[in-house]
Amino acid sequence: MTGRLHQLPLFGRPQRALRLTRTQTPQRTPDKTPRTGRLPPLWYAIALPQLLGIPDAQAREEKLALLAQRLGQLSGTVSVEAPDSLVFEARSSLRYFGGIHSLRVHCRQLLQPVLSEWGLPVDFHQAASPTPAASLLLARAGCNLLVHRRENLRSALGRLSVQSLTLPQRRRLQLHNSGLRLLRDVWRLPVHALGQRFGTQFLRQLDQCLGHVATPVRAYESPPRFDSSLEFDYAVEGCERLLPAIEELLERLCAFLQARDLSTLHLQLSLQHEAQAPTLIALDMRHPGQFRAPLQLLLETRLSTLTLPAPVCGMQLEAWRFKAASAAAQPLNGLSAGEGTAAPTESARIAPLLGLLQARLGDAAVHSLQSQADHCPELAASTTPGHEQGGSTPAAVLQARRPCWLLPAPVQLQQHAGQLLYRGPLQLLSGPERIETRWWTGQEVCRDYYVAMNPRGMRLWIFHEREGERRWFVHGIFD
Amino acid sequence: MSIHKSDPRLLSLLHIPGLWRGNAHAATASAFADRGVSTGFPALDACLPWQGWPRGALVEIITPLWGIGELQLVLPLLRGLSQQGAHSLWFAPPCSPYAPALLASGIDPAHLYVVSAPAAQLLWGIEKALQDAACALVLAWPGRVSHRQIRRLQLAASAGNTLGILFHHGALRQSTAALRLRVEATRQGLHVEVLKARGSYRQSTVALAREAP
Repeated sequence: MTGRLHQLPLFGRPQRALRLTRTQTPQRTPDKTPRTGRLPPLWYAIALPQLLGIPDAQAREEKLALLAQRLGQLSGTVSVEAPDSLVFEARSSLRYFGGIHSLRVHCRQLLQPVLSEWGLPVDFHQAASPTPAASLLLARAGCNLLVHRRENLRSALGRLSVQSLTLPQRRRLQLHNSGLRLLRDVWRLPVHALGQRFGTQFLRQLDQCLGHVATPVRAYESPPRFDSSLEFDYAVEGCERLLPAIEELLERLCAFLQARDLSTLHLQLSLQHEAQAPTLIALDMRHPGQFRAPLQLLLETRLSTLTLPAPVCGMQLEAWRFKAASAAAQPLNGLSAGEGTAAPTESARIAPLLGLLQARLGDAAVHSLQSQADHCPELAASTTPGHEQGGSTPAAVLQARRPCWLLPAPVQLQQHAGQLLYRGPLQLLSGPERIETRWWTGQEVCRDYYVAMNPRGMRLWIFHEREGERRWFVHGIFD
Repeated sequence: MSIHKSDPRLLSLLHIPGLWRGNAHAATASAFADRGVSTGFPALDACLPWQGWPRGALVEIITPLWGIGELQLVLPLLRGLSQQGAHSLWFAPPCSPYAPALLASGIDPAHLYVVSAPAAQLLWGIEKALQDAACALVLAWPGRVSHRQIRRLQLAASAGNTLGILFHHGALRQSTAALRLRVEATRQGLHVEVLKARGSYRQSTVALAREAP
């Protein structure tokens, strides 16, 4: 009798088990007990071979992440499998969506508009099975299969080539030379011998496919985004009266940031008006911010230059570009007296001032200068507005003298009776220095540079075209 | 000392301790607690009461035209600051500074920021930068500035202990800046005239050689 009791489904219904022991009338286990807990998961894999045509790996990953975000509507667990696939858990969504076929239609409706927007083919391979590894293998091989039970996995996978497993080249060759073409051939061999002959990696992949070993799945998490808004009871005029509301929103933002240990680089505040498009204030920060006071100072500085087109009836604060907060940590000034740490301390000290200037004068107002190793004078220097500087290449130090001021574009020199003129007749001091480069772009630079002086004491960097109209230009001023 | 040593009456005056000698700037220089930063030109240093650029003060450099070599005067200063890793801000320069040339002169462009702003906002930015102790040097090309504006900038520079150098074409007859230099180009080099140096009545002119291009 006790042996029968052990077979009873005890979960959820302990009373019934107790009752059965009392009445001594065991019956067949009813089929109406909830089954979802016992069913194996169903992993739905989507393979998009068209993504492999994108050469840039980063762009490919971004596209996959976007698709994963859309699939978040179908399942709570979506995993991005680089380079071309996505896997999601479908069992938990089956009842809501009304079966696997309806889920397939939903999936197609979600992904196809995105793919056609990117100009990619809209078809994709899909497979579902109780293990993520097997689903991936089937989808990537182009077998659009649905395998419900784990017992059927062996026969479903049997038709696939062994080359579809991810293996080093040496192992592939070894498998091929052993006459093993399909996984069906492998199933026939004893397991111990397989591990010895083809390595544990091979064996583990087979085990993962068949569900003997769990496959770790890393669920995709969409990037954090902060969005908070306030509605006013009555329309507010004047920037000063908005400040308490801004303080409230920033307080929320900082709580959000500190809970996630993030700092932000970009804020967008939109001021809503009653009958007008909202006023947008975008704030790019040089220095990632996590605390309210500096952010508020920047926003207030920006607001002080703003004239409101209409009374404000609500505001919304958004932030979506974040950095780990530890990156924003500043060294203790007293402790970083060493030689090597002087420079970062200095840049950290100047950052608040630059942020303040940017907040009032606009993001493009502050530039940093960079030098590039390029022979073409125009391309050897660049200015980057706003953010952190990329750093100069000290290797670009030239022996030849260069002017401290480079004109935004060369200015053609006038000539009078063979004499070059720029605020007076020019006298050549040194030269020529020949610069020939960029012939591969079609806009060839082919010039002879000279240093010249005019009667007013300006030393100029002038050049003579070696081809075409052979005009003279002034390109820079020395000091 | 250019005192007439022959006149006994003058000599007796020199023995009076309370007499302030305006001409003897060398004596007053020692009264400045900290000497300035060397300009890199010994001849110019000798004319200035701080033996160089003053600290926490405003300097005006007046030129008839941009690009006649006025930048030569500040290149040694920039080089020194770059070695210390200190930052300088350039406000509204007449054209963009060329990074390879600065690198060749020993100035790291990474320590240098260019700020462009509409004329109405420019002086606000200069004042904020001068007040900030993190900024070691402010170079500015503000165009026309009034007497009051220069005074305000001078106060900001002393508050932030920042050296501010204004480049302009100079219409004001006098100003509250600590140092005013007029720079003109000659065939051989630069001709620098000290129009005003606080703490000295001496108006001297120096001829500086320019670096050969």
